[in-house]
Amino acid sequence: MTQTNTAAFVRVEGILLARGVLSAAAYLAGNAKKFGERALRLGLVGLAAPVHRLLGQTDRALAHRLAHLAIRGMSRDRVEVLCEEYAEDVLKDTILDQGLELLKRLQAEGRRVVLLSDSIEPIMKPLARHLKHYDELAYNHIEFEDDEATGRLLDPVIGSNVGGRWLDDYAAAHKLELARCSAYGAHGPDMLLLSRVGKPCAVNPDFVLRRSAKDADWPIIDYRD
Amino acid sequence: MNTPLSIKHCYAGRHVLLTGVTGFLGKVWLAMVLQHVPEIGKIYVLTRKKALRPAADRFERQVQTSPCFRPLHEKYGADMSRFVSERVEVVSGDVSLPDMGVEDPEVLARLRRDIDLVVNCAGLVDFDPDLRDAMTTNVDGARNAANFVAACDKAVLLHISTCYVTGKKNGKIAEDIRPDLAPSGDAFDVEAESADIQASIDAILADHESAEMERRAHDDAIKQIRDKGGDENNAMLVRNTARRIKRNLLKDAMVAEGQRRAARWGFTNIYTFTKNMAEAWIARRLDPGRWAMFRPAIVESSMSYPFPGWNQGFNTCGPLSYALGSWFRHLPCKKGNPFDIIPVDYVCRGMTVAGAALMRGEHAPVYQCGSSDLNLLTIDRAVELVALAHRKHLRTRGDTTLDRVLKSRWDAIAVTPDHPMRIENVRKMTESVDEWLRDPPKDWPEFIRRRLTDFAEHTEDALEAIDKIERMCELYMPFIHDNHFAFYTRNLLRHPVVEPEWDCDPRSIDWRHYWIDVHIPGLRKWCFPLFENKTPESYAPRHPFRLRSPEAAPAPHAEVV
Repeated sequence: MTQTNTAAFVRVEGILLARGVLSAAAYLAGNAKKFGERALRLGLVGLAAPVHRLLGQTDRALAHRLAHLAIRGMSRDRVEVLCEEYAEDVLKDTILDQGLELLKRLQAEGRRVVLLSDSIEPIMKPLARHLKHYDELAYNHIEFEDDEATGRLLDPVIGSNVGGRWLDDYAAAHKLELARCSAYGAHGPDMLLLSRVGKPCAVNPDFVLRRSAKDADWPIIDYRD
Repeated sequence: MNTPLSIKHCYAGRHVLLTGVTGFLGKVWLAMVLQHVPEIGKIYVLTRKKALRPAADRFERQVQTSPCFRPLHEKYGADMSRFVSERVEVVSGDVSLPDMGVEDPEVLARLRRDIDLVVNCAGLVDFDPDLRDAMTTNVDGARNAANFVAACDKAVLLHISTCYVTGKKNGKIAEDIRPDLAPSGDAFDVEAESADIQASIDAILADHESAEMERRAHDDAIKQIRDKGGDENNAMLVRNTARRIKRNLLKDAMVAEGQRRAARWGFTNIYTFTKNMAEAWIARRLDPGRWAMFRPAIVESSMSYPFPGWNQGFNTCGPLSYALGSWFRHLPCKKGNPFDIIPVDYVCRGMTVAGAALMRGEHAPVYQCGSSDLNLLTIDRAVELVALAHRKHLRTRGDTTLDRVLKSRWDAIAVTPDHPMRIENVRKMTESVDEWLRDPPKDWPEFIRRRLTDFAEHTEDALEAIDKIERMCELYMPFIHDNHFAFYTRNLLRHPVVEPEWDCDPRSIDWRHYWIDVHIPGLRKWCFPLFENKTPESYAPRHPFRLRSPEAAPAPHAEVV
């Protein structure tokens, strides 16, 4: 039975999925309407990649915003169709079984499982059909104006430094005691999330998070090659 | 807002005469009404007999083989023949003839006495047909239907027209009718115009029979036979070729005359021109209480009835959607222009509602049925959705690797007519390549020259395809570029309906779902094979359908509510 005042926050990227935001942006850019547009947008993603890597450890929100600029000007129809295609044809096959096992275990422990994804709604909604053992899925929202993507991510951006504030709001809304909650992160910026809960855990951590997890004596789970 | 209509109550025990049942709209309407209003009295379907085929046989074949009747077959199974025979009576006739071509005086008298509603779906929907055919089916047919209704005891006429009878106009187009005014703004007298057209047709025919025309056809035949390397001394061959050329010349002259007249009065093509004349005749012949014009916009695949994606034959945007799935990419159009598509089942529901209002005497003179007013779909969005729908299919089910890898990503785009890659320029480029391939540089090795010359066959095919697309674009330009048509569709919504299955509000259409999951897959299944000279999937019900004679199948004794 789910305990009402305790939850497990799990980052999707790195724990459940092997691919991140850049891969999605590249897919969308590479399938833009016109050939020239494809080259231009892919170039943008290419430029965003190193910046994303650098900023990814400090300001993930800005990194995500940069990556999503590549879909600026695309129609809502195209974005949604391509995202569904990406979720079904690419992401679905990269869902990590061990990640699903982790969710199953957490739910069996009676925790409310909250998944946090950096990806945007049109990708996560169709993907959600293939995810199991969770209670809630939070993801990013992209802005559309006149049914055209502006390339802007709407606040609050999941995966950013505002994650702490988001967590507070969420805990207050759901009457959660963060000290009794657990969180599972995979990247450096997830430290903010992990440090706010009573039971943090690093899963398949990158270099920065691994070092910090070791320093803080947080448990580390590794199941990715 | 009127009091809610109950379609079941309005149609229970009422007798309807339906024309154009072999057409896309007529068939869906008949199946839908039989399915949802089994309480209806009799539906008399006016069907033409053909040389060796009685009208009843033709109708039987339609019900037996058209997938449109699948839900009915599934619902009634072995009882289908009895069910339909009790409700449908085939009347041998022809809408283009006086008294609707009904020859049996007893049947005619019975129809005039019993019919409550005439639904005139008969029409020639080609954009630019032979003017004689358009006049016969669209104008004479409507005039005869009006005369028939005038001679009936109580019948009213629901005439199926088109939104585009309003001619070349821009902006919101109201649901009204001005039979005395052409879209060009000139006074219009349908009687005078009909007489004038007949005079022109007679003049063209007279010219066609002249000795000069005979000589011209003969000379052209000789030239054509000579060009093809045939025997120009073969008298039979020359005669047959000359006859074919003459026939084509006559048709071209009729089409040109029709187009000239349509343009003069401000219409987009012969179809809309003659449909407008049909409306004018009806409005002139009948009292306003006895008719309503029902004007659908571009009728396309069904959303749900008889099943998602049902479509029949070559219709309005089928060729366009087909071309956009080929290597043709740049569709000339004006971004933001409405593309007023409406699924056939929405149209049939609307017709039923309008028919019910008409029988109750609560009708409006005109019902427009489209989407541009309440759920706008622009032409550029439609092009994008067509491209995405083709992509979805080709990625996984393309015939070749080229289809799956490249063609699926070869997205069609909406461009302005002066785009560098417009079809005209593509043709010019292909012609240059063709010319070069046919005469490669003399100093090149012979085997390369031969290969290149062989390759010219492909460019010839491509040129043929380009020619078709060019003509198609020209035909569609008034609808996708030249005019900004947006049709008000409020009159139908003034009749709230009790039964939810008759809801025809276009706001419930999700365009993305419709184009990608319903319409284009439907076209692919039912229409594209026709473009490729293939036979679309046929339907064979488990229990064969046989129409029983009226004696064996008496009319159901439902009470009129």
